[in-house]
Amino acid sequence: MRKILIAAVAIVGVSGCTNLERSRDLANPDIRPEVTAAQVCSNCHGIDGNSISPNFPKLAGQKEAYIIAQLEGFRSHQRSDPAGYEYMWGISRSLNDAQIKGLAEYFSTQLPQPNVSVTAQQIAAGRKIFEQGIPEKETAPCFACHGPLAEGLGAFPRLAGQHQDYLVKQLHVFQETEGRPGTPMKQITHLLSHDDMVNVAGYLQAFPDAQ
Amino acid sequence: MQLSVVRIKKRIWTGWIATLPLFVAIFGLLPTDCGALPLFARQTGQNCLSCHAGGQFPELTAYGRKFKLTGYTMGERATVPLAIMGVASSARVSSTAGSTDTEGDFPHNGRFEFTTASLLCCGKVTDNLGMFVQWTWDRFDHLNDQGKWISRSHVDQVDLRYADRFINKDHDLIVGATLNNNPGVTDVWNTHNSAFTPVPGYVPVGNPGGNAGGPFVDVPAMPIIQSLGQTSAGATAYAFWNNLVYAELGGYKVAEKAFSAFGEVGANEMDSFRRLKGFNPYWRLALNHDWGANSAMVGLHGMSAQTYFDSADIDGPTARFNDFGIDGQYQYVLDPHVITAMFSYTHEKQRYADSLWNTANPEYEGVFANSSNTLDYRRAKLTYVYEARYGASLAYTSVRGSSDSILNANPSAVPNSRLWVPEIFWNPVQYVRVGLQYYMWDQYQGAKSNYDGNGRNARDNNTVFLYVWAAY
Repeated sequence: MRKILIAAVAIVGVSGCTNLERSRDLANPDIRPEVTAAQVCSNCHGIDGNSISPNFPKLAGQKEAYIIAQLEGFRSHQRSDPAGYEYMWGISRSLNDAQIKGLAEYFSTQLPQPNVSVTAQQIAAGRKIFEQGIPEKETAPCFACHGPLAEGLGAFPRLAGQHQDYLVKQLHVFQETEGRPGTPMKQITHLLSHDDMVNVAGYLQAFPDAQ
Repeated sequence: MQLSVVRIKKRIWTGWIATLPLFVAIFGLLPTDCGALPLFARQTGQNCLSCHAGGQFPELTAYGRKFKLTGYTMGERATVPLAIMGVASSARVSSTAGSTDTEGDFPHNGRFEFTTASLLCCGKVTDNLGMFVQWTWDRFDHLNDQGKWISRSHVDQVDLRYADRFINKDHDLIVGATLNNNPGVTDVWNTHNSAFTPVPGYVPVGNPGGNAGGPFVDVPAMPIIQSLGQTSAGATAYAFWNNLVYAELGGYKVAEKAFSAFGEVGANEMDSFRRLKGFNPYWRLALNHDWGANSAMVGLHGMSAQTYFDSADIDGPTARFNDFGIDGQYQYVLDPHVITAMFSYTHEKQRYADSLWNTANPEYEGVFANSSNTLDYRRAKLTYVYEARYGASLAYTSVRGSSDSILNANPSAVPNSRLWVPEIFWNPVQYVRVGLQYYMWDQYQGAKSNYDGNGRNARDNNTVFLYVWAAY
């Protein structure tokens, strides 16, 4: 046992304090964004941005400008929805602008994988909202900002293949709170019903199948 | 008799009401901003529910498991890596019938008191090295010769961890090594071990040493793999490949000499068969799969340990304990709902030195009637948490053993016991938890009724347990 203890101490001594190529330190500006993406972000979002759990949004193929805006929003606490402050305030608190840009570049260039499909009824109802909106509820069609393939446009996020549960929760955040300021979504969602949200989010999750 | 019942009830209520200022102090003085959180939350800046399923313990989320496996190194090193934790509780037994020493058998029955505090030194040290070290103070540890409760502080859990992660789009390999003081403290599913139970539940923690501050009656026997905490020191190495296969192998020896800081053997009467002889192997295998909001694990665990009958006599007789078990967990985490179901079954084969059981041996010690015995230990727990704030759980524990009239000094000669523990709890803030448990003994020491031959029934041991846990 004494030899093991000595060996353990030796390992620690040899390893030093930093390991820039495989570090999980979020306060070291010298760590490359690709390393942080693999060692930290991948725990929830997947190494290629295709998260498994619907608790965490897919980032693969997400618009770079949108990711930058969200990380800056988390860092400044401007974005304060539960998913934001519970998980991302801490992750982003010491990232510098270059690291944020690097992470955004990394995930925006990953290949989105298809998500789980939903019922045909949800797809049909959701497609109608996506393509036509709900005029009587002052809801514009989603494609107008997010693109005809829901691929996103500039700071408007990609929605295709995103987790239905995540989208529904965010639609409720837009509608019911001030947790995500600076977007037109408050106005767009203010008359949407929960069923409307579930349908359009289901359509977006299953997007490739719905074409 | 009637008067005494009234007096007991009055004492219970007086005790609980008297603690109201404590509640006020806890909820009033603790800051409410997110910056004032225990260590790991400070290190990552994240909410407790990131790692703890529903914000509770001992269940970890998939993310929490990765945090631990990567050596507690994610985030930013804390300036002051210290936290404190405390538990105030009250246990009230259903009946003290048959007891000739009520205060001795059921100490502080019904009183609500501050009982336990811990100092924790945890978190990231370097990019590859992290630690979890807990030092605990038990206010009511043992009675002295004058019948006065004496407190004791001692090392509780130690997990010094070196880890590295090799990950790309094709492979994900986490490897690590630990020095620790409790077989299974290293585990990330917490299904088969005995660690991380500041309040009982899945792991029943009674008062085998007779101290106050928890449910009075413990299961009569537990396998060795769960009985070596704070008396052993071990080194294990582990690997977790592609979030699919986990393997850990290592061994334990007595916590003394270079490892005396890891624990203390001989601290109380329970240390018989707790002093390890030589290096004793521990192993663990698990298969994990995550899909959607679900996560499942099925695993195997085992240990072979040789211990001394008398911790103070290393020339004396020993016993060999061989443990082998299966355990598993299913978890569903999708805000606001969290469900965790966990189980563990451990079979133990015990073999004893000749002098411990053989009456023909001139050095016969009279510890066992048989040359070997078996023990089967089963546990299960189902927990539901809503909004990481309100929760309920149901835990089950069963122990069955072979008949040995000396080892099991009761009329049935077996340790067989069954315990159900329903619980409701509330986290008003993420670092405070209030819980109410009810310990329901369906069987105790081999019988439902008259288990001791003096008319005491298993259900007489039923206990209401109220606790307030807080950390800062």
